Formats: sequence, C-alpha cells, structure tokens
Amino acid sequence: MKALAEFAQALRGTIRFRRRSFFMMSGIAVGIASLAMLDSVGENTRRETMKRVKNMLGTFDTVIVRPGGGRTRGMVSLANVEPVLKFSDAQAIAAELAGIKQVGQLQNAFDVEVSYRAQELTPAVFGVSANWLELRGDAVEQGAFWSVEQEQSLARVAVLGSEARKNLFGEETPLQKTIRIGGVPFAVIGTLASRGAGPAGGSLDNLVLIPVTTASKRLFNRDFLTMVIAQLRDPSDADRAVQQITTLLRERHHLAATALDDFTITNPAAVMKQMTNVASTLSRILRGVAWLAMLIGGVVIMSLALIGVSERRKEIGVRRSVGAGRADIVFQFLAEAALVSVAGGAFGIALGLGGANALAAYQKLPLIFSFQSVAQSLALAAAIGLLFGIYPAWRASRVDPIEALRA
Amino acid sequence: MIEVDALSKTHQRAGAAEVHALRGVSFRIRAGEFVTIRGASGSGKSSLLNILGCLDRPTSGAYRLAGEDISSSTDRELARIRNRRIGFVFQSFNLLARTTALENVEIPMIYRDGRVDRKKARAALDRVGLSGRYGHYSSELSGGEQQRVALARALINDPALILADEPTGNLDEASGSEVMAILKELHREGRTILLVTHDNTIAAHAQREILLRGGQMVSGE
Repeated sequence: MKALAEFAQALRGTIRFRRRSFFMMSGIAVGIASLAMLDSVGENTRRETMKRVKNMLGTFDTVIVRPGGGRTRGMVSLANVEPVLKFSDAQAIAAELAGIKQVGQLQNAFDVEVSYRAQELTPAVFGVSANWLELRGDAVEQGAFWSVEQEQSLARVAVLGSEARKNLFGEETPLQKTIRIGGVPFAVIGTLASRGAGPAGGSLDNLVLIPVTTASKRLFNRDFLTMVIAQLRDPSDADRAVQQITTLLRERHHLAATALDDFTITNPAAVMKQMTNVASTLSRILRGVAWLAMLIGGVVIMSLALIGVSERRKEIGVRRSVGAGRADIVFQFLAEAALVSVAGGAFGIALGLGGANALAAYQKLPLIFSFQSVAQSLALAAAIGLLFGIYPAWRASRVDPIEALRA
Repeated sequence: MIEVDALSKTHQRAGAAEVHALRGVSFRIRAGEFVTIRGASGSGKSSLLNILGCLDRPTSGAYRLAGEDISSSTDRELARIRNRRIGFVFQSFNLLARTTALENVEIPMIYRDGRVDRKKARAALDRVGLSGRYGHYSSELSGGEQQRVALARALINDPALILADEPTGNLDEASGSEVMAILKELHREGRTILLVTHDNTIAAHAQREILLRGGQMVSGE
C-alpha cells in the first residue's frame, strides 16, 4: 500500500518535471529503437539467407560428396569432374557405414538439348536416384516421381522443374507428353514445385530430372557420378560421418597415405552456419552501436537526475520533515528513473517498429515482431534506468533536510 | 511531553573551528502547553528546533518525546516519529512546487501507511478556511493561504506536537493573525505548540517562553 502510494508519487514526479523526463527518455528511446529495428531486420536477413541456402542444398541432415580433390568451382557436371566417384562407392557408403541412412546419386549435365515439338532448350539435366525428393526436400506438383522399380528397369521417364516446364510447354499440360533429351524420347510423368532463388539469386527450377540409371546407361554412357548425397541418421554428428566416408573412399580408391583425397565432402549445416555468421557480423556491429546509445542514454538519465536532485533539495527536505526516511527518498528517485526509462523504452519500441516496418516494406520482407523481444527491451530499459538511477537516488537520500529546509 | 536534559549540539565545519550551537540546555514541556522559543540569530534556537523535530540528533544530552528516548533512534524510527507525532510549520511555507494544495496536504499520509484519504485532506483544508482552493497550485496561492495549506499538512496525521518556526515571518499582519488564530485553536484542542519567534507580540500569545542566548538557556524553566 505504502509502496504503491510512493510509486504514484514518483509517477507524479515524472509528470511534474515532464520536460526533464522527456530528455531523460530520449537516449533510451534511441537505443531501444535501434535494437528493435535490428531484431526485425536481423531476423529477416537470417531467415532469408537460411531459405536460400536451404533452397540450394535441400535438407540439412546430409553431407555431400563430390569427385575431385580441390575446391570445385561452381556447379559440378559430367563435363568438369574427374571420373573417380562410382556407383559402387555410393552403394558402399550406404551399405557399410552405420551412420548413413541412405544415399542419393546424381549424374548431371548442362549442355544436353531438350526438345518438345519445335521448342529446343538446354536446361540442366539431372540423372538422380528415386529417393531424390526426400533428400532434397522437393515436392511434386503434378503427376508423380518414378519408383525404384522404374529406376532399375532404366525407364525413360522425366520430371520437370517448374521453369523448364514453363519454357517447354507454356500453358500446355506436360503429363504423358514425350520430350526428347539428347535425342532420346522420355515420357513426362511429373512436375516439381518451385524451389525459388538460390543464395546467388539464380533460379533452381530450370531442370529436367531423369532416373540416374537411365542417364548413365541410355543417355550419357558414363559410369561415374557427379555427386553423392549421404543422409545421416544423426544430423548432429556430421563430423564423424565425414570422417567415416573419407576413410571408406580412400580405401576404395586405393589412395596412398601421402596422397590427397580425390573427392570433397561438404557439410551443408556447416556451410549454413558460415553464411549466417557473415550476416550476423553486421548485425552484431549494429547491435554494439545500439548498446552504446543505450549506455549514453543511461548516462544522460544519470546526469539529468543529478541536476534534478539539486533542484529538488527543498522537496526532499519537505518530504523528510513530514515522515519520509532515507529509504523512501531512494525508492522515489529510483522509481522515477525506472518509469522514465520504461517510457523511453516504450517510445523506442514504437519508433523502432515504425522504422523496421518502413525497412521491411522497402525490402519487400515481412515485419518481424515478437512480444518476447518487446518485453526484453522494456526490461532492459528498466534495468538501465535503475542502474543509472542508483547514484542520483543515493545522493537524494543524503540531502540534509535541515540545510534543504533552511533555504 | 518533552524532556530535555543537558542537550548539546556541536557542528563540525570543514576547515573551521567547531561551533557550539547548544551548550547544555535542559527543560520540560508538558503536554498541551503553548511555549515560545525566543532568541537572536545564532542563539541556537534553530539547532534546538531541529533536534526537537527529530530532524537532527544531539551531540550529547538526552531528549525524550512522550517518554521515548530518541537520542539513539535510527533514521527510520525518527521518520516515523516525525510522521505521526510532529507537525512542522516553516517560515517559508515549504509547499511542493507544481503540486496542488490537496496533494500537498496528502503527502504525510503517503509516508504513514500509503492510505491516502482524500476526504480527510479536504476536511483539513476546510478547517484552515481553504475550501475553495483544493486544486490550486502553490504558485496560485497568497502567502497566507500557502501557510494555511502548510498548517493543514501539519495536521493531517493528527500529531500531538506542532513545531512552528517563525510561521508569520513572511506574512503581512492580517495573514499572520489568521495563522496565529489557527495555532491557538490547535492549542485549545490540547495539542502542544512550540513556536520559534523573535517577535515579542507573537510571543505574547504563549503561556511560557524559553529564551536562548549563545546556545544556553537564559530563562524559561
């Protein structure tokens, strides 16, 4: 009851000295506004990066094996890889390593002509295994994907990426139509949902999928793969899987102990982490600036509160004379500092959301708003007010009422 | 009501000699008395009033208020005594700026138990003749009105002791006699009034006078 009444007095105090309160608020408001904006923009950037990386890599519970020791530049294809990664390697990884759930195989080319009637194009042609959808997180939009039986029987069937479908067929329905890939006829049995843009912004939809067995035996006449995707039983233990695959492949490829690997294994989760780190470095710097603003806001609160104490000596004396103890004075001045900074925080949140909204509209991204971060901002503002209010409040409690009342 | 024995107060001034404001003052004031404390400036009357008002502690000697020795009370205990047993009236009114008459009167209730009884605050203002002034800020009130607000504030927690330090010093004669009339009425109600003044005509209202000179009591027991 008493605390409540004293709190009401503090509230009245901040209103009585509203101009000073306003200036006390401003620093905190700027700090909180920048933090609120960063939260939205940073989260948006993170989500966008994650989405694009995921578009490119598919699911995150895999590691990817590519032929060739050095870092391969750009997308692998039959034209630029060494012929070292065999079908049997992929089968061995799946069969011999307990940590691997299944493997996907890829044999692809970018220079094969695909035609439907008079339309002739060169989309990416991917020979892939039947478990491709699952490994990539892709979805069929129309029709169906091929089965393991179709794959084993070297079926001449194709599934089209959304852009390849549009380019070849326009508005015409593609199912059960025959296209020619490198002159060989294939029946279109399905189309894929769009994946959207990759990390570099390019389309991931301009492709034609065919069974990897058919690709190898009927189209490309090659017995090596351009990529093996190994799905992990335990996605958190990618490092061990990488180690096991390395050991297995070195053995199978009869590499001497001193020889370098003739393959490269990448870990999508690690790539992802690296990319989001780059994005978050910037936001970390901005966050530092916001914290600095907040700190300055705290110092502003402290110095204005100290001025307030010396201007309100008489008030302090009067309150002491009618029954306020030192603790009551400390409470009042702390409560005033906390109130002012929470008000500044609320003002800052409004300002920050306004700014974030404008930025989001400009970047055509959604506004990200979390009650949790709003609550955190307010708590932070209150904490800063209390922290920087301690010294002025202590000074207020040391004002000698006799001296103060004499003036 | 008040028992003071060999009360001394020595102020330590940085870089200067000690100032002996009070040098062994002893007296008794019974409940319900109207007593003035008179003396020239520097006679020690302010120091005495501060100790009697529990705003300050004596350097040596004893002070008992209503039988309670307060020489060794803590800050919190002294604040409680000021809040419940003592009402202060100052020469310079000491109302809070940018605060209405009613809010000024309510402040002692906040430090009592936080129960702010607005009706009681209005009644206190009615009593000092300020019925129409509840919502006025101190800056909108005349000196006499401000001092009457201060009297209402001093009364709100129903203290037995009123300490008035030159309450008419800043007032014209008419306002001054209004304030004195209220103080005398409070005395008739049985409250103990202690009035510091150097004005002989004001002092004439009292039953008894304590005269101080150079920190010592010249007469009054």
